[in-house]
Amino acid sequence: MQMDNFRNERDQYFKEIDNLNHPNETLVKTHCSYCAMQCGMNLRVNTKTNKIVGVEPRYDWPVTLGKMCPKGVTAYQQVNNKDRLLRPLIRDDQSLKGTKNGFREASWDEAYDLIVKKFTELQENYGKDSLSVYSGVSMTNEKCYLTGKFARVGLQTRYIDYNGRFCMASAAGGLNRSLGIDRGSTIPWTDVQDTDCIFLAGSNTAECHPTMMFRVWAIQERGGYVIVADPRETPVARRADLHLDLRPGTDLALANGIVNLLIENGHIDEEFIKNHTNGFEDTKELVKQFTPEYTSAITGVAPEKIIRAAEIYGKAPNAIVMFARGIEQQIKGVDNVSGYTNMALVTGKIGRAKSGVATITGQGNGQGGREHGQKADALPGYRKIANPDHVKYVSKVWGIEPEEMPKEGVSAFEMFGLMEQKTIRALYLLCSNPAVSAPDQNYVREQLKNLDFMVCVDFYLSESAEFADVVLPTTTWAEDAGTTTNVEGRIIKINQAQMPVGESKPDWKIQVELTERMGRGKYFSHLKTSEDIFNELRVASKGGTADYYGVTWEKIDKQDGVFWPCKDENDPGTPRLFLDKKFNHPDGRAKIFALPYRPSAEEPDEEYPLRLTTGRVVYHYLSGNQTRRIQFLRDMCPEPFVEVHPETAAKYNIDHEELVRLYTRRGETTYKVKITEAIRKDTVFVPYHWGHEKSINLLTIGALDPISRMPEFKACAAQIEKLKIKKVQ
Amino acid sequence: MKKRLYLELENCIGCRSCLAACTQCGGHEERNRNYVYDVNPLVNRQTMPLMCLHCVNPACARSCPAQAIQIHETGAVLSALVEKCIGCQNCTIACPYGIPKFDTEQNLMYKCDLCIDRSKDGIPPMCASVCPTNTLQWLTDEEIEAKQKQFNLDNGKWVTSMPYLEGETNVKVNLPGILQGVTKLF
Repeated sequence: MQMDNFRNERDQYFKEIDNLNHPNETLVKTHCSYCAMQCGMNLRVNTKTNKIVGVEPRYDWPVTLGKMCPKGVTAYQQVNNKDRLLRPLIRDDQSLKGTKNGFREASWDEAYDLIVKKFTELQENYGKDSLSVYSGVSMTNEKCYLTGKFARVGLQTRYIDYNGRFCMASAAGGLNRSLGIDRGSTIPWTDVQDTDCIFLAGSNTAECHPTMMFRVWAIQERGGYVIVADPRETPVARRADLHLDLRPGTDLALANGIVNLLIENGHIDEEFIKNHTNGFEDTKELVKQFTPEYTSAITGVAPEKIIRAAEIYGKAPNAIVMFARGIEQQIKGVDNVSGYTNMALVTGKIGRAKSGVATITGQGNGQGGREHGQKADALPGYRKIANPDHVKYVSKVWGIEPEEMPKEGVSAFEMFGLMEQKTIRALYLLCSNPAVSAPDQNYVREQLKNLDFMVCVDFYLSESAEFADVVLPTTTWAEDAGTTTNVEGRIIKINQAQMPVGESKPDWKIQVELTERMGRGKYFSHLKTSEDIFNELRVASKGGTADYYGVTWEKIDKQDGVFWPCKDENDPGTPRLFLDKKFNHPDGRAKIFALPYRPSAEEPDEEYPLRLTTGRVVYHYLSGNQTRRIQFLRDMCPEPFVEVHPETAAKYNIDHEELVRLYTRRGETTYKVKITEAIRKDTVFVPYHWGHEKSINLLTIGALDPISRMPEFKACAAQIEKLKIKKVQ
Repeated sequence: MKKRLYLELENCIGCRSCLAACTQCGGHEERNRNYVYDVNPLVNRQTMPLMCLHCVNPACARSCPAQAIQIHETGAVLSALVEKCIGCQNCTIACPYGIPKFDTEQNLMYKCDLCIDRSKDGIPPMCASVCPTNTLQWLTDEEIEAKQKQFNLDNGKWVTSMPYLEGETNVKVNLPGILQGVTKLF
């Protein structure tokens, strides 16, 4: 391919549209801070105050064309928000942990000195691994990469992991296993509208990734099909040609049932299977028992709907299978991913335009953030810490001896177990809010409280910061530059629009300054800018599966992003994977997996007869730490609720908007009831964006997928109780 | 080239991005001027936007005793002129769609002006710019005509442009609906 004039594809929706320029303002091109759609936007900056004052659509961004969801439209209101932390906070009275109280403002020097003193003391007394780093992927590749190095080279601890364990870990596990590579999508998003069938499993697309909806609807306008598998009739399921309303936690049976029918109906691609895959015969044998009736008995989906779904997907000349957290946040999340990927592999609907497999990545940099070594078992470029050659390569880039590289750590949720055992005694938390987002909150909050020392880096005083001894103020996404890797695997550029608010500093700068004070500066002091870090990341990822070596900030701007892998300066990147039908396993073949069905960790019983599932609303993002502080979003959805089917509500004698007690074996809370026919009768749903006593994660279960170590947020057993009304005397 | 706001109601997912964007156009005092309704909230998630249709002969302007509601040369029915509006609320009663809103503190009416500072230069209004689903689009007359030809419509007109609602409107609404008569590919 010719590099000189290469630009990633623009599709039929692309139009040249001028922007409105307000007087005394300039526009800074960037992307949204929230989900992995990473919608293009312009930030309006006042040229006199140099402050961000608003948003203007970015019509020339080829993926989203100026479109934004309500979170995106109001995202800029995070930056100069009244809740911003302006200076470091220290809390001297440990008895106040778990509350907002007792913090005093301090200088950076005092905060750094305290952290260094505590970290050094703990490591001297209890070993290097008594420290831990818990990170997130709502930040740039530069920061995610440096955080991995910060933990392993700066703090010299093995315990680093990140919130992707609650987000993308199952997709990563499944795609790696099936295809040998974990790039969330095999195709660019500009292919979506031109496919003939989209199969969306466990994705509330309209609320979680709204700006891809115009492409989904366009499939139907062309006469194509939209199939949705979801326990709830979400806005996308409502207009779908087929809604497979399955019980939460039964995806694997549905996937097996459909694969069985694809085989029976002769809709498989035998040539493709023979030449490019392994494992078909075993799978064929296993799925035989998943007849429509058997599958229906497990999933609760009517047999004729399963038959119809298989028929449509099988007949479609081009089809895309997409999935999201609904199938991934289960104890068999990895199997679900491989199970649905089997649909594409047996039919050969992968490795070409308009056909493929994608996980719809949640967090803004959920893709890039999992590739460059802040995962317990990973090093930059999707290298593995268990592989001595990989360790050797990265050690050289980092300037350490391979023996100095800490060993593999444990997953995010398992870190709380090590805190309980006092193996981990201190925590450096950044870009995450586990005091809302982790399952089994009563347990998690107890562990945070019992830490000897905790640092939280955030730009607001999050629920998790309430457990910290030191809170360091960091910047929002608009006060720093860097790259993220979006839902497609396209590396894009975030631009700085404003100077940091107050005394806040970008995460990477904090880490460089801390390591300098811990005597590890020689590995970090050369990193003066975010771009310096990117250039080191390029080298560190070189030759790895997620190879960024050929990506430069300049190339990103020039060609509207770069799809990895991008191996050298002349490589324009790889928008579509597997066009040569070569998969990334050593033998070049994809793997079709025979996956026996197993139930959820906690199935309903007499005592807890309902299935509780959790998810999002369109107005809030993750733990809500950002979106709950924005007026418009708070007005639209101020508090959580529990969705109940009217027949179920009648059984419990509860009314719309009545307050009820919802409880599981792990916890309880009260919510207002929202009656809707758009949910299964055996299922209740609560959105998870709230903390303290309103957190649904007080009730969820910490059962983990054996491979991805992802908790089963999407299914546990629950019960509702009508609150007794006290009689007024 | 003249462009119009064009609506495809079935695309709406109820994200209310249009309302968020309405507060951000710079000339709207951060108050949104349109509506998104839950059609049948206890049953399903169907929603629909209710936008000012910018009638060719608008009832709001006709009913205004102070001539405060002006019609821009583009056809946009503007928000009441602050210096002329007497706060009588005739317009809120006259509009068959219930579009004009009333600020009781300032005793002033306010309504959608199609982001006139944008649309007068052909830049799409904020709502149609951000709409994630293409429920709200900003199209040329030719593009709208091409859309219209896909359907077999009574009198060749969409429902909102039929007499007795308000007659001809500048905003076009695809009713009875975009999926009517779509032939499946297979």
